[in-house]
Amino acid sequence: MSEIKKFYLTKEGLERIKKEYRNLRSLRLAKTNGEAPKIFESEDLNPEYLSFQEDLSFLESRIVELEYILKNTLLIRPPAGKKQNIIDLGATVTTELDGEIDEFTIVGSLETDPVNKRISNESPIGQALIGKRAGETVVIKTPIVNHSCKILKIKYNKI
Amino acid sequence: MSAVKKFEVDTKHLSAEEKILLEKLISAAELVAPLYLKQKNNEYPGANFYPSNATREEIEEAGRKNPAILNPYTFVERDKSGKLFAVPFHIKFKKELKPISNLLIEAAGLSPNKDFSRYLKSRADSLLNGDYEKSEIIWLKNDPFKFSFIIGPIERYLDKLFFKKCAYQAWVGILDAEKTKDAERFKKMLLVSRKKILPDSEKVDIFKLDVRVDKTLIFSGLIADFMFTGTNLPNDVNLMGKYGSKLKIFETPLQEKFENEHFPIFKTIFAKNFQKSYSKAELFLGSLRCILLHEITHSLIRYRDAEKRLKDLFPVFDELYAYILGIKSCGSFLLKGAMSQKELEAILIMHICRNFTWWLDSMKNPDVNHYAIGAAIAQNFFFKEGAMEKRGGISWPNFAKLCICLDQLSHLLEYHLALGNYDDAREFVEEYSSFNVFKQFSPQLRNFLKKKKF
Repeated sequence: MSEIKKFYLTKEGLERIKKEYRNLRSLRLAKTNGEAPKIFESEDLNPEYLSFQEDLSFLESRIVELEYILKNTLLIRPPAGKKQNIIDLGATVTTELDGEIDEFTIVGSLETDPVNKRISNESPIGQALIGKRAGETVVIKTPIVNHSCKILKIKYNKI
Repeated sequence: MSAVKKFEVDTKHLSAEEKILLEKLISAAELVAPLYLKQKNNEYPGANFYPSNATREEIEEAGRKNPAILNPYTFVERDKSGKLFAVPFHIKFKKELKPISNLLIEAAGLSPNKDFSRYLKSRADSLLNGDYEKSEIIWLKNDPFKFSFIIGPIERYLDKLFFKKCAYQAWVGILDAEKTKDAERFKKMLLVSRKKILPDSEKVDIFKLDVRVDKTLIFSGLIADFMFTGTNLPNDVNLMGKYGSKLKIFETPLQEKFENEHFPIFKTIFAKNFQKSYSKAELFLGSLRCILLHEITHSLIRYRDAEKRLKDLFPVFDELYAYILGIKSCGSFLLKGAMSQKELEAILIMHICRNFTWWLDSMKNPDVNHYAIGAAIAQNFFFKEGAMEKRGGISWPNFAKLCICLDQLSHLLEYHLALGNYDDAREFVEEYSSFNVFKQFSPQLRNFLKKKKF
């Protein structure tokens, strides 16, 4: 039996998913309550009908996906006390990597956005840093790139 | 010889006025090519900017007494007594520049965008009075315009004696909003971290970097000769420090270069089994990212006195370091999950193919020699460190070793640009710049070279 995948989300991330879910359900309701285009336009399949069906099927699959995510969400919370010195999901970490000073927050894969400094816990750097403390140096390995990364600072935002 | 290159671009979505405006700009661009050809002279390192019998020392000496001698926008000539004197481009080419200026004023009258119109009028004036800074500032402050248009004496690559004199060029393009958005994302990823700099070196901080991808309609002058696929302006570090930098990617010339050079080279120099792992689309994206990384990185590596120290070798180091550091940065994208290993491999493969392209281009156009020397340095470094191997006449890259090489090479190049002196730089170039690293593939490239008429 395959393991159920858990989705780590911040409070804001969870709110975003819930909002999208509500919006898509309302949209589906509006679409199905309205008048659907006819299947046939004269003797040919109506392109409007095809596009309507395509939209509906896209909506359905995204709604199912969001329901699955919402059922299996684990909320990211800042750890208490001394555990704040250890990197976990939600930590904003300052590192020195490959001669560059970098700061980013470790998030779940659904909230990954490297452009805005949100790095996945499943990325090579995310995996290597979780569980480590400030001052430690870790080697991050991929089949073609290896870099050592010094952890300079760890902080957690208050919720 | 022609110094004009036109590209097919769909302009159906443009209004009738916009099409007329573009025609005016294209006509103006075309008129710049003869000026460039009058500056170009491959027989002499100083091209036609200096008298062919003037020595470097003589020019430097004259330049100390008269700064106009080494001004970027003058020709240097001899008077009857043999003394060197300077003639500004706008005086020498007064007759030829007038119709170009007129076309810009006509185009300005057709543009609904007031800032673009102001830029065109100001550029029209600058061509005639030799004061280019005013129009450059308008451009730096207001671009991105819908149409991309550059005209005037801009790039210094023809002056291999001092790397000072600017050669004429022009281009016209239309903004590709979708690709620009993607390039912008890439730029942000590259700029999010702060790179440490070498102690005692002085770097120009770029507070603003705009990126755009254009569908290019025409190249004229130097850019048609060099066929750049991207560029970063202004060249003046003081202007750049004050107003930021503009990075352009020329999509249509890049597509042409990929189809005609990068991809056929890939099909020739790599083993068939190796080739199967990469689709053409993945490789094109690799090529596009290669140039994008190069141009973005350019704006991060401006050392204030590097040109003075490295003189004619400056462009070799400047161009190569921008390639190497840009690709090296992808290592951290990979670790952060922002790029897949396959995407990074495609960039590395295209970098190798582009190195071959620079070598081949330099055979037809010696003015791109500094790029070819840089490409040879990288390629020799890769082979010496075992990151590339030639087995059975075909190359096999070792990606892990290539990434280590990028790291080592970037440190060496950074040192030369940030703190190095001319003699050390010359020694480094002599050690690594043999073109044999490309020539060893001549038997494999025979058909390709024949087709390209080498």
